[in-house]
Amino acid sequence: MAVAVRDDVQHEQQEAIRAAVRDVCKDYPDAYWRELDQRQEYPEAFVRALTEAGWLAALIPEQYGGAGLGITEASIILEEINRSGANSAACHAQMYIMGALLKHGNEEQKQRYLPKIAAGELRLQAFGVTEPNAGSETTRIQTTAVRQADRYVINGQKVWTSRFKQSDLMLLLARTTPYDDLTDKTRGLSVFLVDLREAGAAIESRPIDAMVNHSTNELFINDLVVPAENLIGEEGMGFRYIIDGWNAERILIAAESVGDGRWFVDRAVKYANERVVFGRPIGANQGVQFPIAQAYAHVEAADLVRYKAAARFDSGQKCGAEANMAKLLASEAAWEAANACMTVHGGYGLATEYDVERKFREARLYIVAPINNNLVLGYLGQHVLGMPKSY
Amino acid sequence: MNIIVTIKQVPDPDIPPIHFKVDEAAGKVVPPPGVAPVMNGYDANALEAALKLKEAHGGRVTAITLGGQEARDTLKRAVAMGADAAVLIDDPNLREGDSFTTATALARAIEKVGEYDLILCGRQASDTDAGQVPLGLGEILGLPTISPVIAIESTNGGVKAHRMIEDGQQVIEAQLPAVMAVSSEIGEPRYPPLRGIMMAGRTQIPVWTAADLGLDDGSAAPKVQLRRLYIESREQACELVDGDTPEEIAAALAQKLREAKLI
Ligand SMILES: Cc1cc2nc3c(=O)[nH]c(=O)nc-3n(C[C@H](O)[C@H](O)[C@H](O)COP(=O)(O)OP(=O)(O)OC[C@H]3O[C@@H](n4cnc5c(N)ncnc54)[C@H](O)[C@@H]3O)c2cc1C
Repeated sequence: MAVAVRDDVQHEQQEAIRAAVRDVCKDYPDAYWRELDQRQEYPEAFVRALTEAGWLAALIPEQYGGAGLGITEASIILEEINRSGANSAACHAQMYIMGALLKHGNEEQKQRYLPKIAAGELRLQAFGVTEPNAGSETTRIQTTAVRQADRYVINGQKVWTSRFKQSDLMLLLARTTPYDDLTDKTRGLSVFLVDLREAGAAIESRPIDAMVNHSTNELFINDLVVPAENLIGEEGMGFRYIIDGWNAERILIAAESVGDGRWFVDRAVKYANERVVFGRPIGANQGVQFPIAQAYAHVEAADLVRYKAAARFDSGQKCGAEANMAKLLASEAAWEAANACMTVHGGYGLATEYDVERKFREARLYIVAPINNNLVLGYLGQHVLGMPKSY
Repeated sequence: MNIIVTIKQVPDPDIPPIHFKVDEAAGKVVPPPGVAPVMNGYDANALEAALKLKEAHGGRVTAITLGGQEARDTLKRAVAMGADAAVLIDDPNLREGDSFTTATALARAIEKVGEYDLILCGRQASDTDAGQVPLGLGEILGLPTISPVIAIESTNGGVKAHRMIEDGQQVIEAQLPAVMAVSSEIGEPRYPPLRGIMMAGRTQIPVWTAADLGLDDGSAAPKVQLRRLYIESREQACELVDGDTPEEIAAALAQKLREAKLI
């Protein structure tokens, strides 16, 4: 009984969160996103509105000025953003990068940064992991950080560093021990919190022209000096810290994909009911109706796994299997829904003013990034099913 | 400055007109299925004005609603936006009322809350657009009442209201307490922030019945008799005025307008 009451209160709060996020999104309709997409611009006004209302500080504990909510609630926020036709990619990283600072940062680091992040004065939403020679195989990164007295000097190159220009702080993974000197290849990497306001010319960025409006960049790092106090946790343990954040990231991405999937299904159903061809709505044809229904079922199924993963995460249980499955299933269900929606719209699906082609491009990203689904399957095969390592 | 804001929950005015339905036999609006009701727009403006006054001068903001249990969501939203407390008046005998019933119930509830300097209402509600409650409230409570208000300034011991009139603004000074019916020009309501939503989740909202307000004697019974509730039908026709020269077209148009008694 007590549990039921608590569930009720929690459910009511989650519904209130949903409604309030929808409210913000309502002021940023399709046309806003379409125009930004055409101009390849960052949704500054939208992100500011979300930040000011505290949405991006959902995971920051209350003692640092955040809301202290769980990954379930955080994932609802991102789901609703994507479900409204908007794109969480502009701001989701603050939520999943946060984990490394929250879990492995020391008290001084948390005091220094978290209240300002919660208040919206600082943005921590750039994550420099991927390199030209190290994508899926993170342990192969080549960017080096060399300790000199009370500071590190960092040199190297990153690629696909998203929101770099819209961030004050970047979480950066760099090598502190050469690969060949390591017996355990998962060691030797370290995580730094880089204050981009002080980086100056030491980081040169070049925007990558991409299929999606994602504000993503190549970075060239030359003698970037980072104070040793900005090392997160222990030197050499960085890869573990990044892995620790993966489950949260997978769950959040799954929720975004669920949001996308529902958006596609809604739009597909609406168009199928409205468009009349051969004297009847196209939705009266099974060939049109079934792919939408099938995608709907898959989105709903993925959503259940996503909630299961989030519940396990929030209650401190192991959730690697569920989080990975949620990301896999949701990204594929969203993509299935995207295809169904595109097909239903016929030629009009390709017209920018229907927004389907924009969302179609955006939804496709989550099959490959932040992790590609092949590696998710590799994880399941090895860690859940006990087959040999395949990657 | 302690402020009470009266708030009504209304059907979402942004729904497409075809989804707006009335049950003529029952004389009621049928709530559109699947679309959550919302806080009346002008009431949200009034709440925003109250929150700004509170931020500048301190005090408490209390939101009051007359409505069913579902109106709790709207009060929670008011708390999430920044109201310090909320009260729901809910009683089967008050549900079917008119503007008089509402004004009476709100007036009694405001007296029961007790401490107030200013009462802010929306200028009208988007469901009925009657705009009667603020004036009724002022009458029942015997307070100066100003409508529609587009700016409020606190003066020494009183308040200055900018009232919208046809060709400009009228600036009125009033003693407190006073009632003001606020218009949208006063400023866009804020989004409820996440912390506010969490706060609202923990806030207890008391429910006051007609008996709690001394209104179980029928003294708030409606004065208005609803004869018929219906959606008026509008007919539209389009006619193209033809002619060989612009002058001929203009003459033909003038002729048609005269026939339609429009000029
Ligand atoms: C828009 C966008 C934004 C991004 N933002 C960021 C960011 O902010 N920060 C950041 O660090 N990174 C970011 N990334 C990078 C992203 O994380 C990588 O693209 C992703 O991890 C895949 O790496 P890769 O592109 O090098 O692919 P690769 O590792 O080169 O893989 C290429 C292909 O080979 C397959 N493959 C590789 N190995 C195996 C195997 N053993 N078994 C089966 N299949 C395999 C993969 O499935 C994949 O399809 C972003 C990427 C994009 C596209």
